[in-house]
Formats: sequence, C-alpha cells, structure tokens
Amino acid sequence: MSWFADMLGPWRGFAVTFRQMFRPKVTTQYPEEKRVKPQRFHGRHVLNRYPDGMEKCIGCELCAGICPARCIYVRGADNPPDAPVSPGERFGFVYEINMLRCIFCGMCVEACPTEAITMTHLFEMSVTDRDDAIYTKDELLVEPDGTPRHPQPAGPLIDLEELKLGNGWLRATASSGRAAFEGLVAWTPSATFGAEPPERGQTDADVDDGNEGA
Amino acid sequence: MADASDKVTITLDGRQVEATAGELLIAAAEKAGTYIPHFCWHPRMKPVGMCRMCLVEVETPRGKMLTTSCTMPVADGMVVDTASAVVEKAHEGILEFLLINHPLDCPVCDKGGECPLQDQTLGYGPGESRFVEEKRHHEKPISISDLVYLDRERCILCARCTRFSEEISGDPLIEFVERGNHVEVNTFPDEPFVSYFSGNTVQICPVGALTAKPYRFRARPWDLEAVESVSLVDSVHSKVSVESSQNEIVRISGVDNDPTNQGWLSDKDRFIYEHIHSPRRLTVPLIREGDTFREASWGEAVGLVAERLGAVPGTAVAGIGGARATNEDAYAFSKFMRSIVVTPHLDAQLDDGLDPEFAAAVHPRARIDDLERAATILLWGPDLKEEFPVLYLRVRRAAAHLGARLVVVHPRVTGLDLVATHTVRYRPGEGPATLKKLAAGDGDLAAVRAALNEGPVVALVGRPGLAEDPRLAEAVAAFARDLPEATIMPLVRRGNVFGALDMGLAPTLLPGRVSVTDTAARTALEDEWGALPEGVGGGATEILTGLVSGDREVLVLFGADPMRDHPDPTLVRSALEAAGFVAAFDLFLTDSSRLADVVLPVAAFGEVAGTVTNLEGRVQKVNQIVPPPGQARAAWSILDDIATAMGGSLGATGAERLNKEIARVAPAYRGVTWDMLDWGDGREGIVVPLRGADQPLRHIPVDTGVPTVTERPAVHSARVLYDDGAMLRNCPGLAGLAPRAAIHMHPRDASILAVRDGDRVLVSAGASVELPVVIDAGLAEGAVYVPFNLVETAALGAPRSIRIDVVREDAS
Repeated sequence: MSWFADMLGPWRGFAVTFRQMFRPKVTTQYPEEKRVKPQRFHGRHVLNRYPDGMEKCIGCELCAGICPARCIYVRGADNPPDAPVSPGERFGFVYEINMLRCIFCGMCVEACPTEAITMTHLFEMSVTDRDDAIYTKDELLVEPDGTPRHPQPAGPLIDLEELKLGNGWLRATASSGRAAFEGLVAWTPSATFGAEPPERGQTDADVDDGNEGA
Repeated sequence: MADASDKVTITLDGRQVEATAGELLIAAAEKAGTYIPHFCWHPRMKPVGMCRMCLVEVETPRGKMLTTSCTMPVADGMVVDTASAVVEKAHEGILEFLLINHPLDCPVCDKGGECPLQDQTLGYGPGESRFVEEKRHHEKPISISDLVYLDRERCILCARCTRFSEEISGDPLIEFVERGNHVEVNTFPDEPFVSYFSGNTVQICPVGALTAKPYRFRARPWDLEAVESVSLVDSVHSKVSVESSQNEIVRISGVDNDPTNQGWLSDKDRFIYEHIHSPRRLTVPLIREGDTFREASWGEAVGLVAERLGAVPGTAVAGIGGARATNEDAYAFSKFMRSIVVTPHLDAQLDDGLDPEFAAAVHPRARIDDLERAATILLWGPDLKEEFPVLYLRVRRAAAHLGARLVVVHPRVTGLDLVATHTVRYRPGEGPATLKKLAAGDGDLAAVRAALNEGPVVALVGRPGLAEDPRLAEAVAAFARDLPEATIMPLVRRGNVFGALDMGLAPTLLPGRVSVTDTAARTALEDEWGALPEGVGGGATEILTGLVSGDREVLVLFGADPMRDHPDPTLVRSALEAAGFVAAFDLFLTDSSRLADVVLPVAAFGEVAGTVTNLEGRVQKVNQIVPPPGQARAAWSILDDIATAMGGSLGATGAERLNKEIARVAPAYRGVTWDMLDWGDGREGIVVPLRGADQPLRHIPVDTGVPTVTERPAVHSARVLYDDGAMLRNCPGLAGLAPRAAIHMHPRDASILAVRDGDRVLVSAGASVELPVVIDAGLAEGAVYVPFNLVETAALGAPRSIRIDVVREDAS
C-alpha cells in the first residue's frame, strides 16, 4: 500500500486546486470589470450642497473632532451677510481631508449635523505626490448643480459616475435611529438628489436591510 | 476665619457631611463632592435662584420640599436629597422649559462643546422635547460692544452677566428689558456695553448668548490645547489659561486664583494675545543699513553686537528694559550686563515707575489678599481702573461688599470714586502739601484723616501721574506706615517689572533684593558671577542724558520702548540718535527699535516658559504653548550667544537651569523652583522670600522732602488702559478702543481761556500737538489732563509744564 500512497502523495495537494476548477470564478477582471459595491460603501468623501446651491457645511468641526485618524482640518468663518455661503452664521472656509491618513470609517459622516459630508463609491485615488492626497474644499465640494469634482480625469480606473453614488439619506435612516420614525423623510435633500424615498427597514420584523447590492 | 463652632453637620444623600454655618447648600455639597447642576449660581457672586436648575429636596416639618440649593444656607441637621426621583423630574422639567426657546445652534455656537446647558441636558435632561412649536426669534448676534456679540435667542436669563456688571465690575450697562415672555438681556439704547471687563461675561455665560468677537469661529473647544499661565498685561499677574489651536493662541480665559484675580480678567488681559500672531512680528534679526534695515543671520547679528559691546569700556554701555521679560530672561540680562559687559548702568523702569529699592523691598509689604481683611484702604496712586484693572476689582470688592473704608487721593475722578468713602483731589505737583495737610488732618481733610485711624490699613501707593515726582509715593508710604496695622503695596504697572527689579535690573539693586552697597551680599555674588562693576549706576533718565552728552556710547534696549514709555520722548530721541550703537531686543519695530542699529527678534508671551513676580512679590510660572515665529528666540539664549562671542559665558543652557541658578544665587528667591510652582499649593504662586530664606534689603519708606511745585497749569499725564503701546497697536480687536486724545480742563480754567468743549488748542512742551478740549469737572482746578501715549499725544510724553495756545478759526 505504501508505494501507492507514495505515488499519490504529490498529487494529493492538488485536490483543492482540481475541486476549485469546477466552481464559479470569483476573480473579476478589474478594472475592465468592477464588482458591485455595497450600497453603503465607504469611498471618497464629497461635500454636498442644498438644491438651491448653498453649501451644507457650516464649518462646525464635528467631523474633525470625531475623526480617529485626525485627518480632517476645518476652519469656520462668518458668513458674509450679503452673499452667504451656507445657511446660518458660519461656513467652512477651509476644509481638507488627508486621504493618506483617512481610514474610511465614516465617523465624519455620522457626526455631520447637516449631512454635508457623505461618502461615495469611488476609491481609486492613487497619487504620485503626497500633497495631492490632501483633498481641499475645491475638490471635495460638488458643483452648484450637484456634479462632483475629482482632481483626476476619468479613465479605465476612475469612474466618475461612482462619485454620484451615496448620499446623506444612506446615513440618515431615521431621527435618532428610532423605529417610530420609520417612513418619515428625515434628511435634507441635496443638489441633484432631491428628496429620496425613505430607506426601509427599521424594525426586526422587516428583514430587508436595504443592501440589495451586497 | 471660621472656627470649629461654626461647623454644622448635614445629611447629604444619606451621608453625614460637615459644612460651615451660613454657607450655601450648593457650595457645601460641592465641597463634599456632590455636584448639583446649576446655571445662574456663581461662587464669586451673590445667589439669585433664577435658573431653578439647582433644585434639591430638603426635609422640612411639612415633609420633603423642593428648594433651590443656591439660595438655601445650610443648617445643623438638615437632611438633603440631591438625586431623588422628584429632583430628577424637576431637572427634566426645568431643562425642557429652558430648551423651549433655546435654538439648536450648537454646531455653529462658540460655546458648543463646553456649554453647561449642553452638558446638563445630556446629564439631567429628558432626552426629548415635547415642544414642536416654532421657537422665539431675535435678530442673530447683535454687537453690543467692540468685543462682544449678544445672541438673545440663546439666552436662558440666568442673570450672570447682569449681576457681574453690577456687583463685580460696577458698570451696569447690560440689563433685562421687557416683561414676561419677552424678557431679554440687552444694553440701554445708544449705550454700548463699554466695559473694561466685558470679556468676563462671555466666560461666565452658561450658554453661547454672549460671545467674544476676537474668538468668534476661530476654533472649537475640542481642538484647543490649554496651558496655565499668568497675564503679563500689568503687574497683578492674573492667572489665566492660554488656549491654542493649530499652534496659534486663540483664547485666554481667567482661572480662579484666590490670592490674585479670583477668576476675573480685564479685556486687555483677555484679548492681548492677538499681537503674538501679528504679521508685523519680527522674525529675523535686522541690521541697520543707512536709513533702512536688512535681514541678517543670527551669527552675523550676534557677532556685530558682541563686537560693538566689546569695543568700548564696560561703563560706556547701558541697558534699559527687562520689565516685559520673565525672571529668567531678566536674570540673564542682569548677569550679562554686570559680569560680561561689566556695567552698573541698568534700569528696568523708564522713569515711569518708583524708586527701585522702595518698589522691590518696601517693608511692611501688603499682599493683594490683605484687601479682604482691610478696615481702611488708602489709595494714592494711579487710577486703578485704567492701569491695574484686576486690582481695581479687588479694591472695589473690599469697598463695596466687604465694608472697607476707601480713601482715594488722585488729581482726577477715578473709577473707584463711586465706592470710595472719601475722595481727595489735588493739583499735580502739590502732592507734598496735600500730604502734609492730610497727615495733620487740617481743614476739610480732618474727616479723611480720622477715617485712616482704623486698622488694618492697606496703603496702595504709586504715581498718580507721570508728570509727578516719583518720590511722592515714598513720602505717602512713610506717612501710611505709621497708620494702625499698616501694610504698603507699591504700584508699578509694567508686566514683570517687580521680577526685573528683583533680578537686579536697577542701578541700586542686585539679584534677590540686595542693595549694591551691601558688601557681604556683593562678595557672595562675586563668587558666582566674577567681579562686579564698582559703584551705583545710573537710572533710565541718567543713561539717556549720558548718551546725549557722550558719557555713554552703547545702549541695549531689552524689550523696552522708551520713545513711548519715557516721560520725555524728545530726550529719548536725541539719546538714541546720539548713541554710537543701539541693540534692541524686541517683538516689533517700535518707535525705539526703529532707531536701533541691530534689532533682535525675541519670543513673546506664550512662547517661553519661566517665572514672573507680581506687585506683592508673588512668584508664578508662565508656560509655553506655541513656538516663536520664524527665527525669533528666547532672550536668554541670545544673551548667552553674545556672551560666548565676547569670550565669556552665562552658563545658560535652558530657562529651567537659569531658574535653578536664581534659586541658588538670589537671596530672596532662595529655594523657589519650577517644580514648586507647577504642582500643589505652589500653583497659586509663592510669595518670596520663602519662610527661612533671607531678604537682605528691607526698605523702610522715608519722606525725603519732596518739593511742592505750583506751576500753572499743573499737568496730569496718566496712562489709559487702551493706549498706543506696541502690543495693543498690533491687536486688531483692541487697537480701535483707544480713547480719543484730548486735553481735559476744569470748567473754570476753560472759561478763563475762553474755550469750549471741542475747541482746539495747541499744546506745547518738548513737542507741539493740537488737541481738542474736553471740559472735565472731575479734574482738580488749575490742572489739565493729557492721556499718556495715545497716537496724538505720544510726542508730548508727560511734561512737567506745558504751554496752551488757543487755535482760533479765522473768521473768514
């Protein structure tokens, strides 16, 4: 028996390989072919505007305060009374995120009281210069019509359409997360997005978690 | 002081707790470690019970009753419950009511993050509001003064600001208006909240209703770094917390230090930090080239200073300044000038202060805290509200709330006159005659003299005006010394002037309150420093005249601006122009350093650590929180480099090392180290000398016979809080607050000259300036008052006599 076992020995290790050959492939031909990301994917941030073009960011620095990687730098300033940048007294006149430090945890999105900062589906942000990894307000803030900006042009890797996925409503499930508010629109519309239908699924009875893309 | 019989025992949440009889329940509970939430109660002000947040349950004969713990004095056997279900329900109710109209501004509110209303809503609130109605609306922040914004929507009507301005600062310019649901805090119409202390209301506001303009939207509380320090705006040395964000000082808050400021600050203390980050700060050494400066390397600048200082005999070199530096820097300067350059000509004062021996070592010396126990306070010196605002608050507290009798002697109406028992006005120059009359109790001064007979007496003495003889203060002190249980506090204003004098920056003093003529102490110092220069040096004015006459050739300005601070700017200009070489250590290109040959940029407040000494001899620590800009450096390290280039050494490798040397070398400072000041009781400051340490010089004030001057018009020239000093000029928030320059005249004098309010006159002394006339009935007759060092009056200085020519408009 032992001679047979000795002969089979070298091939036994391939058993896993042979078995996998007949299963469906999980490898995708990135970047030609991209996997569908979860709806709440944590990608590059954008700073949103209200439908009237006003900036949502009020420069409150809550995102910077909560950031565990300390990668956000915000400074507030008085809104010019004749040409206000955001509703209220204060706006964020400096807003920078160091994407090299960012761990994409989404705490800034959670902390934001105005849904100004949200995360999109774009994660391709390779740079050749460290300075370019610091995204300033110019790059983070969407155009007045809601079109997001990106420092790099669209290409095989960079699909700018991904920057339009993801919005404040993905986070704002309900006021204080309570089931009693299910079905109530409790978030502010953004430029281009408008008021979206409320996300379903606040109670244990409703098992649809809304992440149909996963 | 409370003795054992004043102690009562109360039951606090089931615990037996000892308290002082008459103490308020909220304070007793806090002392016992039980925090009772509150908004309106403040330990330094009288209780009002307005916010109702501090409700507790107290057992009464009729059962448990809810009562406000801030208005309830403790009584023996009192049974108190601070956390019962009823109290919790009361808290929830109160907070829900307070939040009916409180806007959800927290993300943009400057208080957000350190707001008592936020914290207590989180800790004691109901979690959710049942009110869905529209909130009350007011115009968003309205400017109520040059420094403060008021947002009436956020106000919870706790009356802290109104009580502060009425009780503490004595300028009740902010009050409740309207009735019922419409009550709001506001100023009187057309009367802004112009107070030297308005910043305190911002600090004690429990919500963001009052916010400071210079701090508005500069940072959020969670990105502030803070360090304890003391304010060097005047020599009271109020304890402050210096707060920075992104390496920039953005706020200074008062810290409650019982012996000094008791939590309060003047607006100048609070907002002076703006100059530190001024774009006009010097960041590179400058060397004169013709009429302009060129930037130079440190090596070149230090080499040039060393070469020029070494090229002349030591006694041809003189040093002025040091009163803005820390004790360590002042000590380094003193050691450098006396042991490396070898010159006795040193002065930290600019002939705007007092005799150095009297100021540094007067005996018996008063402490600020003596005001709490004083029966009588004699103030014969500057207008405290203008020059020592925090000391003004302490004296005002003693006179208005603690029952002390206050006698104010000054040529003009002062901030304290409203609470003074007696005020005496006299013409500047006639101080000695007034003193003689007061001492004898002649005529109308009999009542004043009688008032001074009850001790303990605290005498605050200084120069009422810069045009007056500095020896008058010592004559007053000599009189006051004989009053019952008298202690004396000399008043000299500038930052760390007392520390500089104690470090030997005076012609007659050596470090540690030692007279230069004290042979034993001199020998001891020579063991450390090497040979000392012979004899007594010259003071500031003598140094300046020496420069003009050629007796002195080289001047070192150590953070001094004599063009603005010396009473005779004409002499200063000619001295600086006549000097062979002037080296200036400075923060800015001031009028004086502009005339220097080398300007060395030094580190400012908040950029260096060290010790400082206040007017009662209290040593406290200042700390570093931000780095100096550009190539600016700590002064001691520059001095050490110059000493090395001159072939000597200061042995200074760090400020703490210098501190240890001071603690060894300076007798009165023996044993006072940074460690002692950083931890424990020493954080309140330590009054030197320590027990067991020796103070060789104890100066008993004597009346040296000051001559009476009866010149007319008698000139009163005094500083105002917001003048045109280099630091204030570079604070955007404070620069605009300087008063309009004018010459003040008594109505009768004005009628003799036939001028009316607003007429312009030409005032001539060394220089001539045209000033408008202000009719001022608060001035002694026969005297005129010209504020010192305003933009328009800077050229005039503080002359002893002036000429007034009325400028008549042509009748064309």
